Amino acid sequence: MPLIEAHGLTKKFRQAVKEPGLVGSLKHFFTRQYRDKLAVDHIDLSVEAGESVAYLGPNGAGKSTTIKMLTGILVPTSGSLVVDGLVPSEKRQQNARKIGVVFGQRTQLWWDIPVIESFNLARDMYEIPPQRYKQNLAQFTEILGLADFMNVPAGKISLGQRMRADLCMALLHDPKLLYLDEPTIGLDIAVKDSIRKFIRGLVEERGTTVMLTTHDLGDIEDICKRIVIIDNGKIIHDGDLAKLKDTYARDRVIHFQLARPPESMTAICAGLPACEVTNDGLRLSVRFDRFEYAAGEIAGAVMPHVEVIDFRIDEPEVEDLIRKVYLGQLTLSPGPAAAGPASEPAEA
Amino acid sequence: MGRFRKYSALARTSLEITFVYRASFAINLIGTVFYVVAMFYLWQTIFLSNPNSLGGFTWPEMKAYLLVAFLLNSLLTWYQEWVMGEDIREGMVGVDLARPIDFQASRFARAVGPVPFEATSALAVAAIVAFIFGGIALPADPARGGLFLVSAALATMIKFGIVYCVSMVAFWTTGTEGITVGRLAVQNIFSGALIPLVFFPDWLRTIAAILPFQGLVSTPALTYLGKLDGPTTILMLVVQAGWAFGLILLGRLVWRRAVRVVTINGG
Repeated sequence: MPLIEAHGLTKKFRQAVKEPGLVGSLKHFFTRQYRDKLAVDHIDLSVEAGESVAYLGPNGAGKSTTIKMLTGILVPTSGSLVVDGLVPSEKRQQNARKIGVVFGQRTQLWWDIPVIESFNLARDMYEIPPQRYKQNLAQFTEILGLADFMNVPAGKISLGQRMRADLCMALLHDPKLLYLDEPTIGLDIAVKDSIRKFIRGLVEERGTTVMLTTHDLGDIEDICKRIVIIDNGKIIHDGDLAKLKDTYARDRVIHFQLARPPESMTAICAGLPACEVTNDGLRLSVRFDRFEYAAGEIAGAVMPHVEVIDFRIDEPEVEDLIRKVYLGQLTLSPGPAAAGPASEPAEA
Repeated sequence: MGRFRKYSALARTSLEITFVYRASFAINLIGTVFYVVAMFYLWQTIFLSNPNSLGGFTWPEMKAYLLVAFLLNSLLTWYQEWVMGEDIREGMVGVDLARPIDFQASRFARAVGPVPFEATSALAVAAIVAFIFGGIALPADPARGGLFLVSAALATMIKFGIVYCVSMVAFWTTGTEGITVGRLAVQNIFSGALIPLVFFPDWLRTIAAILPFQGLVSTPALTYLGKLDGPTTILMLVVQAGWAFGLILLGRLVWRRAVRVVTINGG
């Protein structure tokens, strides 16, 4: 049975609508008007134990709302949600015992007291057996390098230190499931790396199931095998990261640096049907589908016609791919079934 | 055992945080000292023209009443209410909700945690004021003292109940300051903190009698002074207990509704 199972999960918010200006304010005071906003719109999601899932989407797509429903903070408007056999919003406390939550923009640590005391408080709140607490604390302190600021109040440590301490706090009670909401936001590269490495270690060594939302695609490639994209409250992609690349990032571009401008473009183009060939003087670029052609075939077709000094191949970045999806330039067919390489990408 | 421990840990942490903010705590305390001293001089002047008694109060009784009122008002400071309102408004409640704790019990623990500190410092101030104004009467006998302590504990629970319910309003509105000011105004009048309720006209006293606020100051202070006979004291304590549990229950109901409409920002 999957650890997380959601069917038709929906969250509708009621937003107050106010016309601009004083008149609008007055009107709003007497006749409140509201508009429903579907933050999460009938999503189906199933996550097995031990999976690491990246949950992506532009701002306001419904990521945090979903996470808040999964953690039991928000009550769904409709649909069903079961996390490890429990309905989170009904059995909130029991659910809380089994999960760890890290909000990148909001700390779980107590602002005014030393970090270690927040941890001790977690021990009491989660009723962690003293022996287990000691073990975990020692281990996390070492891996995350917390020793230096253990006795400093959370309000006085840097963001990077705070994030590491927050991770520790969320994991002291051995949660089965770890939710990370933008865990690397605002961090420098070194801290990002150490946090990613740490999370990967959790997945591999402790078998913790990780679900993470982020805008940083480095997080995904380092931590997650599966990627779920939500936009306008609907899941528009659910599948393997590698498959996503195969499906939607099939194009490669070879750039040739030429000794002399080509004499005839038609001859080159004739040898490369279904490719897009562009040329400006000493540079010749060929865009091709890597399932249609091998890079060698392209080179073989170009070389007889021109003298090539150098060449390089551009591979599309996941980042580009996702940017296109967010901008609406690339439409992913909804549902996990569509993630196979057979489906046609529609690119505008 | 485990259950109690998590909340006692929260109470301890809250007490510790009060120590962190000892400067603002001290300033707040000094402010209330001025207030108490002003009240003393005001009532002293009034009693100078009515040397025997006023509304059944002698001057020594009045002094005791004012100090008991001051003591009770020093417990569960406004700070707790402000923190809870802010937490709700800023969505920090989400963090609490992701923890294996009961929201109301955890907030109760956090409100009650600093009480020993608040009580000790208020007692110290009261002792000094009492010394300056020539001492105050202690309860007539240990039984009365005991009843007073029970009444004071119930007053603390009622205060928490009111503050908790009022803070819940933050779920529906964007600010709580106005509501807090309003609550304080109503509370100061109807609890008897400003003027003992016997000085009220009948109609106002009737209103005070049906509201929970009299349990905050009037009931414990009158119990302390022995102004009520035995059966009436017990009856008033029962009324206090009823309000304490009623308000805590009401808080749970309001919370249940609030959680359903909560729209923690983000998405």
